[in-house]
Amino acid sequence: MKFYYFHLMPYVIDHGEPSSWVTLSNRHYDPAVGHTLYHQYLDQLEYAEKLGWDGICVNEHHQNCYGTMPSPNVMAAMLVRRTSRAKIAILGNGLPLRENPLRIAEEIAMLDVVSGGRVISGFVRGIGPEYFSLAVNPTHSRERFYEAAELILRAWTEEGPFPFDGRFYRYPYVNPWPRPLQKPHPPVWCPSQGSSETVEWAAQRRFPYLMVFTPIKRIAQIYGEYREACQRFGYTASPYQLTVNLPIVVAENDAKAREIAQASALWVYHVGLRMLPPFYQPPGYTTEPSLRRVLTNRPKLPTELTFEELEDGGYIICGSPATVRDKLRVFADELRAGIVCSGMNGGSHEATLEMMELFAREVMPHFREDANVDETVGVGR
Amino acid sequence: MTPVTSELDVRGTPVRLQRAGDGAPLLFLHGAGAGGRWLSFQQALAQRFDVIAPTHPGHGGSPAAEWIEDISDLAFHYLDLLDALKLDRVHLVGASLGGWIAAEIAVMASHRLSSLALIDPVGIKVDGWIYPFIFGMDLPQVVATVFHRPEAAMALAPKDQSVDTLVELYRQNAAMARVAWNPYLYDPRLRRRLARIAAPTLLAWGEHDRLAPLVCAEAWRKEIPNSRLVTFSHSGHVPHLEEPAAVAAVVIEFCQAARS
Repeated sequence: MKFYYFHLMPYVIDHGEPSSWVTLSNRHYDPAVGHTLYHQYLDQLEYAEKLGWDGICVNEHHQNCYGTMPSPNVMAAMLVRRTSRAKIAILGNGLPLRENPLRIAEEIAMLDVVSGGRVISGFVRGIGPEYFSLAVNPTHSRERFYEAAELILRAWTEEGPFPFDGRFYRYPYVNPWPRPLQKPHPPVWCPSQGSSETVEWAAQRRFPYLMVFTPIKRIAQIYGEYREACQRFGYTASPYQLTVNLPIVVAENDAKAREIAQASALWVYHVGLRMLPPFYQPPGYTTEPSLRRVLTNRPKLPTELTFEELEDGGYIICGSPATVRDKLRVFADELRAGIVCSGMNGGSHEATLEMMELFAREVMPHFREDANVDETVGVGR
Repeated sequence: MTPVTSELDVRGTPVRLQRAGDGAPLLFLHGAGAGGRWLSFQQALAQRFDVIAPTHPGHGGSPAAEWIEDISDLAFHYLDLLDALKLDRVHLVGASLGGWIAAEIAVMASHRLSSLALIDPVGIKVDGWIYPFIFGMDLPQVVATVFHRPEAAMALAPKDQSVDTLVELYRQNAAMARVAWNPYLYDPRLRRRLARIAAPTLLAWGEHDRLAPLVCAEAWRKEIPNSRLVTFSHSGHVPHLEEPAAVAAVVIEFCQAARS
């Protein structure tokens, strides 16, 4: 099993506003506090490498307190020079959100060259509220995503200069300097929300697929569809194309872990993911078949979930090292996933570092039968 | 009077059409949320005119038309519809989004219009005003923004909350967003072009419009050479739903005067 440390870089506050996204006033953001938080969060990611994590992950979200990384490439740039071994997974860049996605091809190539080929490039559409915050027309989201991905992949793999004449993006000269170090290009991952269209698209290209903050049963169902799609495209999915992606809380015993998890996990679901109903599904963002699927079997909103539902539904893992080991094994087997991608929150910076140490000491070594395997060989490209 | 509903193929795009009444042809373009509904306003117009009320692609249960990229595509679509119906000239009446489309048609082909009546249209940028972002509002906020008389909103209530109905509403919102998300509710080039409108133009406006308030009405009146503004004191953004009889009477009188 491979372990990736995932960070959201939340700005944890309690507020009574109806939405933590788009409209939550940035007067709640204190830059002096932000200064401390950014450094603590970056320290945690750097420490993860020291403790043996295989990769460290950053991601992109806009105008909210849930995750304060509007530019994941900026964060990745800070990590590239402070680490030397771990993969740096950007999960991911919101392709349709960029007016000029050739800039993404350039920035990822820069990071790949400086890091010595350690970059994993996630391609995402961005979630609903992002289309409100950045005023990008959501009815173009899917087509812009596909077109930007094609542009970036061609920019990385074809000798330039060449012209690109798409529906949304047009260039007389595609010729980025630098070119990426990894060949043919950095691995591409697809974090997504389970739409069948994206599953097909990723499976066809051997791009690893992952779902975040979703109950384990639904993830298992979508991962099953992904593996079936891979078969249809003539190959068997590697376990490293799928991840167990959820917050983990480990402490010396189950009771203590639960106590910590209640505070941190409930903040994520009840505050961090709280948003006005229109923000979830901007018009035209979701295809009608996907919308029907959601409406027919409507999942609970994050804010409607109790802690028991989060734990029983497999939204989180918490417990003693032994409990976490058992649950992780069950999840990994159920999802047939080769990567655990998760962040931790002990309630304070120091407690988080201690939790990471405990996990690295008591959990991780039990899953290291594949220590000598490179998880990026043959996948994501 | 029950309208005759028919489906028409306009250059490959299916159009659902309601039609009733005798007299000179009058094309009515509906606002967002009102597609496919024959309301008392249309009913009143049909006492004097041959009222033709098509549903915009993607609205009122019609299939979306993927080729529509911006508001001018909808204007060309309705010019194509006039050709398909062999209508040389019509009275053109449009409300809100429909008013925006009507204005785009008018700047392209004013000679096809006997008269133009715009009911609280959106579509131009007005100095000092930014349209509130309806897409980011929940239903109570939308109703409070659009209606001065919230009870009038019942005329547009969805028939149920079934999956089919919700998918239809989503499609309608998407069709609207396609042409109106950014720039939001206007075409940056339309305002300068309004001077091209030669047809006599009526601007009917709700005095309590909170989406496009009277400052917008003044801008339209200034830009359209032969235009007249009539306001309605008990209405918000949709006076043809809030005071249907009064608005219909003004529109009928205006169209009849324009004809003679």
